[in-house]
Amino acid sequence: MALTETMKPRERVMNALAGKPVDRTPVANPTNVATVELMDMMDAPFPDACRDPELAARLAATGYTELGFDSVMPYFTIIQESSALGCDMQWEEKDNWPTVRMYNPIWKGPDDIRIPPGFLEHPDNIAITRAIEILKRELGDEVAVIGKTMGPWTLAYHVFGVEPFLLMTVDDPDMTMRCLDRLKEISVLFGEAQIAAGADALTFPDHATGDLVSGDYYRRFLLEIHREMVERLSVPLILHICGNTLDRMDYIAQTGMAAFHFDSKNDPQAAMDTVAGRIGLVGNINNPETLYARGPEEVRQEVFRCLDAGVGMVAPECAVPLATKLENLIEIPRAVKAWHESHDE
Amino acid sequence: MPVAHEGLEQEIGYVTKPFEIEHIRGLFEGTDPLMHELAYNLIVGNHHDVDRLTKDALDRDFSANNILDDGLIAGMAIVGIKFRDNIIFVPEVLVAARAMKAGMKHLEPILSASGIEPLGTVIMGTVKGDLHDIGKNLCIMMLRGAGFAVHDLGVDTSADKFIDAVMEHDAQVLGMSALLTTTMPNMGKTITAFEEAGLRDQVKIMCGGAPLNQEFADDMGADGYGKDAMDCVALAKSLLGLEEVMKAVPAKT
Ligand code: B12
Ligand SMILES: [Zn+2]
Repeated sequence: MALTETMKPRERVMNALAGKPVDRTPVANPTNVATVELMDMMDAPFPDACRDPELAARLAATGYTELGFDSVMPYFTIIQESSALGCDMQWEEKDNWPTVRMYNPIWKGPDDIRIPPGFLEHPDNIAITRAIEILKRELGDEVAVIGKTMGPWTLAYHVFGVEPFLLMTVDDPDMTMRCLDRLKEISVLFGEAQIAAGADALTFPDHATGDLVSGDYYRRFLLEIHREMVERLSVPLILHICGNTLDRMDYIAQTGMAAFHFDSKNDPQAAMDTVAGRIGLVGNINNPETLYARGPEEVRQEVFRCLDAGVGMVAPECAVPLATKLENLIEIPRAVKAWHESHDE
Repeated sequence: MPVAHEGLEQEIGYVTKPFEIEHIRGLFEGTDPLMHELAYNLIVGNHHDVDRLTKDALDRDFSANNILDDGLIAGMAIVGIKFRDNIIFVPEVLVAARAMKAGMKHLEPILSASGIEPLGTVIMGTVKGDLHDIGKNLCIMMLRGAGFAVHDLGVDTSADKFIDAVMEHDAQVLGMSALLTTTMPNMGKTITAFEEAGLRDQVKIMCGGAPLNQEFADDMGADGYGKDAMDCVALAKSLLGLEEVMKAVPAKT
């Protein structure tokens, strides 16, 4: 039976985040869906599109206009705040994501952490807040405009370097906590600025992944902080942690976040069973093997697997590979609609 | 036979595959309690103790080679298994690696002066455009722990740098790491660069990193793919035709 859509994309996404009924499962992009093809189409290549609000908004809009997703996301990386904090940056070219040179850390401990004056006015932060304003103005009635603010754990990787920070967690857990407590103020500050700019929701990446640290680490170092973020940031939050996270999803489900954006390394059914309705799940189409290397048919199968499991919002598992073919991305909303056509009466 | 060192015995208890239990027990059978103490402190990451115990052992006339094999390497074998099996994670491996370094600081000058041959020479690096190095560093640690000489080229490594390093160190094995789909193809490009330079036959090339798989490595023309740090060591050994040696001496006496 043909699917009748009764909701605008924005309402669909916001309802899903609030746990309310939807006309069909929304397709979102809590990390981002920029690809080289889209950059060429819009003449908005990396790294410029990460640093210029007009280009960022133009590239982000394609998530809706070209791909048919229900949300747009103008923050394509995870390093904007870190650049504003003064980290050593490698901006790369069109075909690679910019990054922080973490082998050159700027800080050593909690006393070094300070928010530079004019932090929110730094061009790399303005690129995001202005892009949100533009998108809100141009597409705000139609689609959900999602912003993104880094959690303290991810910021710690950037400012201390991953290895020194992880060593600190073993050597001095109290000092680690003091660092996280200070860094979380940056998450709040940048999050609030995006809310003021019009963001409907915020992705909150905080990479305490099972590929690096234990589930117990999540409980000890982050559970409380993530609860506090829910209190302090006034829009729905989507926690993003890629990699293996099944062993910490029970804790994640206790944060009060609106949703958790999870990786294909975790079986959708097992994830649904673990969170048991306490938090929405967003995910988890595989990037390197499916979206990057296979075709629409495989994408469709994976979308169906998510929907069969009851995942509340379908999305690629993380920032999609920049060389991903458009036909594979376009297939995601198509497959969602096809699934509903055969399942709804 | 259980070892008398209670902490170490508990650590061995984390090893569950029968053939690995046999191998690990073999590493500690009949060796001195001081080596057990050293291995234990390495596993739990007490670098100050490893530093002190290594000096003690040298003072007590243990050979550098024995301390390395029976203490540090034996301990590292357990760390590798615990990491693979998700009993410990990266921070715990990093503290073990730091402890290994603390011991090696005393052993390295002696070992290099005595001219003891490493198992082989390996060049390791993360490919061009990619700054992920945690996994590569763990591989290097395990390779060194297994007795290889490893030259680390760090991150963002161009094909030319790989070629220069292989030539300079006369390396038998080259290991490349990539964590990004955007940089994975740079492994293939490096392999092509070796071919174009007429050097492909001089070195075995292995690849690894989370987005890779056997199929992709085969397509690029690599000699091997390894899924984790333990695999990396096994792969390096097999590329050098050393598996037989492994099987022949599972239990050190
Ligand atoms: C830590 C991390 C980072 C750190 C890296 C710090 C560092 N010094 O390495 C930081 C925060 C800096 C970072 C940056 C980025 N990252 Co990152 N990162 C990760 C993360 C969370 C873990 C990777 C890791 O260290 N795993 C643990 C180690 C132990 O595992 P491993 O590397 O796989 O290594 C093991 C095996 O693969 C194997 N192995 C590895 N190398 C080799 C080599 C040989 C020869 C052999 C035999 C075996 C072998 O043995 C290792 C030990 O067992 C992953 C997500 C994830 N959960 O996997 C994303 C991930 C790799 N990152 C990703 C992205 C997108 C980025 C950024 C572009 C983000 C951004 N927009 O800025 C930048 C890129 C920077 C750059 N140009 O390289 C994506 C890649 C997407 C894709 N498919 O291309 C991932 C997969 C997240 C995701 N799900 O999308 N990242
Ligand atoms: Zn991610």
